[in-house]
Parts: sequence; structure tokens; C-alpha cells
Amino acid sequence: MTVNTDLISRLEHLARLELSEQERLSLQSDLTNILDMVEKLQELDTTQVEPLVYMNEAVNVWREDEVKHQVEREAALKNAPDQDGTFFKVPKVIDL
Amino acid sequence: MAYETVIGLEVHVQLNTHSKAFCADDTSFGGEPNTQVSVVSLGHPGTLPKANGQQIALATRLGLALGCKINQRTTFDRKNYFYADLPKGYQITQDQRPICVGGDLDIKMGDAWKSIRIHHIHMEEDAGKSIHTLAPKHSFIDLNRAGTPLLEIVTEPDLRSGEEVDAFMTAMRQLVRYLEVSDGNMEQGSLRCDVNISVRPHGQTSYNDRCEVKNVNSMKFARQAIDYEVKRQIKIMENGGKVKQQTLNFDPNTGVTSPLREKEDAHDYRYFPEPDLPPVVLSDAYLNNTNQALPQLPKAAYNELTQKYQLSDYDASILVEDRETLLYFQGLIQHTSNYKAAANLIINRLLPWKQENKSTLSTFPVPSTSLAALIALVEEGKVNSTAAYQNILNALITKPDQAPLALAQEMNLIQSADSDFLSDLAKEVIAQFPDKVKEYQKGKKGLIGFFMGELMKKSKGKADPKASTEILQQLLK
Repeated sequence: MTVNTDLISRLEHLARLELSEQERLSLQSDLTNILDMVEKLQELDTTQVEPLVYMNEAVNVWREDEVKHQVEREAALKNAPDQDGTFFKVPKVIDL
Repeated sequence: MAYETVIGLEVHVQLNTHSKAFCADDTSFGGEPNTQVSVVSLGHPGTLPKANGQQIALATRLGLALGCKINQRTTFDRKNYFYADLPKGYQITQDQRPICVGGDLDIKMGDAWKSIRIHHIHMEEDAGKSIHTLAPKHSFIDLNRAGTPLLEIVTEPDLRSGEEVDAFMTAMRQLVRYLEVSDGNMEQGSLRCDVNISVRPHGQTSYNDRCEVKNVNSMKFARQAIDYEVKRQIKIMENGGKVKQQTLNFDPNTGVTSPLREKEDAHDYRYFPEPDLPPVVLSDAYLNNTNQALPQLPKAAYNELTQKYQLSDYDASILVEDRETLLYFQGLIQHTSNYKAAANLIINRLLPWKQENKSTLSTFPVPSTSLAALIALVEEGKVNSTAAYQNILNALITKPDQAPLALAQEMNLIQSADSDFLSDLAKEVIAQFPDKVKEYQKGKKGLIGFFMGELMKKSKGKADPKASTEILQQLLK
């Protein structure tokens, strides 16, 4: 896979980042290196190996259906960049 | 040219758990904004989700009731996108191994059943709520709903009209309520659907590109949206155009759909396995137990009522509408074998009582044994049905521990077939209305009903209608 400027700008959009030209270039070379390494790994035959998704073998880690650990609204809103004591306020985002 | 409408649905059902899907916040509807939140639902760094066992139980229950294959190893995935009502930046959902695959739901169209195939059902979490109307430059975010457990039921494109969509959603609502997996409340958003619509010339076997209509939160809107969309797509095709695949928003105020976003530059959700939630493994025993705990399902109940108890389609449909009514009927017929009378009593008296009192049948004060005794009194001809199901039943509602027979006696409603008593009353009636008697004798035989009514009044509801009619006919000759 080649990391070209189109891919960089798509990733920029997906990650909601705004990069400078300099940052784009350095990211392009970093990503190329990373993908090259992955391609190297892919030379190994792993057809007989189960994909590793989870770091341990635990299954069915569930909890009881009980209400707890809620936080007060004041605490919930405290770290928000903008809020009015009731709601989080964000720049108008309407996808219409 | 004749066209065929092809519709598939993505139905979202909100599960009726107490707490959220992956954290323990309250899921109650209508709380003050941002009061049902925690560090997990707020998406704070370093927090971890933990699955609610109840959502898995409810998902399994619905899947088994729909005849789905249950994936006994089912896993969660992340669907990544940025939106202000999704604090983590991803939704926990199921992509690779959803909990249920296949299955179907039968809908009744007139006299025939039609089977609508289910593609799959997956578990996911809801997003928060955005309010765009409070200020010109800001949106307001309420995260109470963020993380609420949902099931998404994806159907095959088997539906062919707005009526079928209506029937499907009605049947789904009925089923989730029978199973107690959701309250199925469309107004509160517990049941909602996205509608995928395409149109093709009759006889064409392949599907054309579809449009997805979002935000359809009532059956009325679904039908309006479908009607509008079908006309729009046919017009494009008739003008030689091609319908573009896109997502549309339905505006209930105008009845018009408009593009939300183009599917071509489709969202790149970059699904990947959710590493914070270990797989769910469902044993055979778990599935067997869930299966055995399933209640009788609406269609089976309908068949039982129409076949075993010989009730009409109308009666059966009303009695199976919700499970409480069905259970009440099944309880009542433990005490009477007059199924039709039991059905009538529930439909004509008990359900209106429930409606008026905004109550439930289980709190109806008169015990089933007394209702059965009341039915028996009518059957045996001791009281007429008006006296039984109006006067005596009303009295029973205020004095539920009284025996119907004793009440009937006390209220002087025991029907009389005594011919002296009846013929005295008949003579009185005839003497009172000489004009009507002449008309009757000239051939206006329909007046017999009038004489009966007068006689019944004089008897205060006690006259046996059959014996009275015979005596009246005899005297009027």
C-alpha cells in the first residue's frame, strides 16, 4: 500500500486533524515505514494460526443489571470546554 | 409500466434493562439532561466497559423467539465516527459475529400469513441526544441515552408495501412486549426503524439501488415516507433516470424526503474488534433454558384461539394483541367452556373498563370464577345477557366478593319463563298500545321487537325473551 497525499488527507479528515504541510510529509514517511514493517510480517505463513484479538482467554465477563456509579451532573459537565450547567454545548453540528 | 416496491427494514429495539449496555447508568426515560451518566458513558480516558448480562439474555430470548440461529460465540466491534453525541468517538456494536443470524417473523395480511426473513440481529449501544434548536450557533448535548442497549434487527428485502411495513412493526412490537424484552413504545423511541426502499419493474428479479429513509418514529410517518419515496423513484425511472443510492431524511411536517448524505463517499467506519470486551460464549444449557422459558408466542396463541376455541379472526386478534389479555382469557376459560361468551365479555366489558380506568386487567376486581358464574347464569337462561353483563357486572365491580346468583336475586333480575307472569305483562302491553297492535295485525310484523322491549321494561329485565316472544305472538294473532 502506498501512502500518498490523497490517503493522508483522507486520514486527516477521518481523525478530524488539521496538519501542516511539514507534518503531512513526516506522517507520510512514518506511515510508509509502519506499513512496510507490516508487509514484512505478512511474509510469514499464518494460515494455521488463530488471529489473536484478546490478550487473555476470559469470556462472559458480565455484570448484574443494577444502576450504580453514576456521577452528578455538575461533575459530568465540569471538564467540558463549553456547557450551560444542564447541557454540553458544542458548535452547531447538524448533518442536514 | 407496473412497478413493485421493495422494502427492507433496520429496526431498533431499546431493551428494557435497568442499566446501560456497558456501564451501570440508569436507563429510565425522561430524566433531567445529563443526570444518567458516568465516567464510562462520558467517554473519559482510562475507563472500561463491562457488558450487562441482561442485554445478552434479552437478545437471546428475542433471537430464539424469531427462530434465529444463535451464534454461541459472539463478539463486539467498534464502529468509529465523530459526532458530538458519541463521546468515545466510536459506537460499540457487533459487525463480524452478531448474536443472531437468520430467522423470520410472520405477519398477517388479511387472511394470509406472510413470512418476513430476518438477515441478522446485533447488539449495540445508543448515542446521546443532540438538540439543535436552542441556540443559533450551538448544539446542546444530553448524554442520558448514550450507552442504552439496543438490538438492531435487519430484515431481508421481503416487504412490498407500507401496509406490510405497518404489519411487521406491529407484529414486532407485539412480540417484544410478549417477551418482555422492550416496552416497544414508539413515541419514546423504544422502537424505531430505518426504511430501505427501492422500486423495480414488475417481473424484474434483481434489486435496484435503494434509498434509506432515517428518522421514522411512527407508523404514520413510515407510510407517508414510503408513499413519497415510491412516487419519487418511479418519476426518476419514467424520466429515464437512475435512482442514486443515498440516505434520506423524512420531514414529518412536509411529508417530503431529502438527502441526508450520499452513500458513495460512504462513511469509513473502520470497524475493528472491541478489545475491551471479551467474547460472549453461550452454552447449550443457556440456550435451552432460555428457550424453555419463552412464553406462548402471539401467532401460536392466535392459532389456538381460532382453531381450538373456534373464535373469529376479529375476536382472536383482539385477545392476542397483548399478553395480559391473552392470559386473562386463558385464565377465564379454566372456569367456563363458553369460549365465545368469555371472549365477548373481555372484549366488550373488561377491555373498555381497563381503558377507562387506565388500569390493567390483573386489577379488574371481579374474580374469573364470578365472571364464569355470570356466563353460566346467562347460558342457563336464569338472567338475560343485558342484565348479566350490564347490571349484575356493574354491581359486582363494586361488590366483587358477592356471588352473581345472589346478586341477581337481590336485584330481582332472575328471568322468568313463568307463563302466567309473562302473559299478564303481555296483555298489559297490548292494552297500552292499541295503534301498534293494529299495525302489527295489518302485517308490520317487525313491531314484535317493540312489544318485546315494552314487556322487558315492565318485567324489569326479568322476562325470558324466547318465552315472551312466543306468548306475544300468540296473543297478537
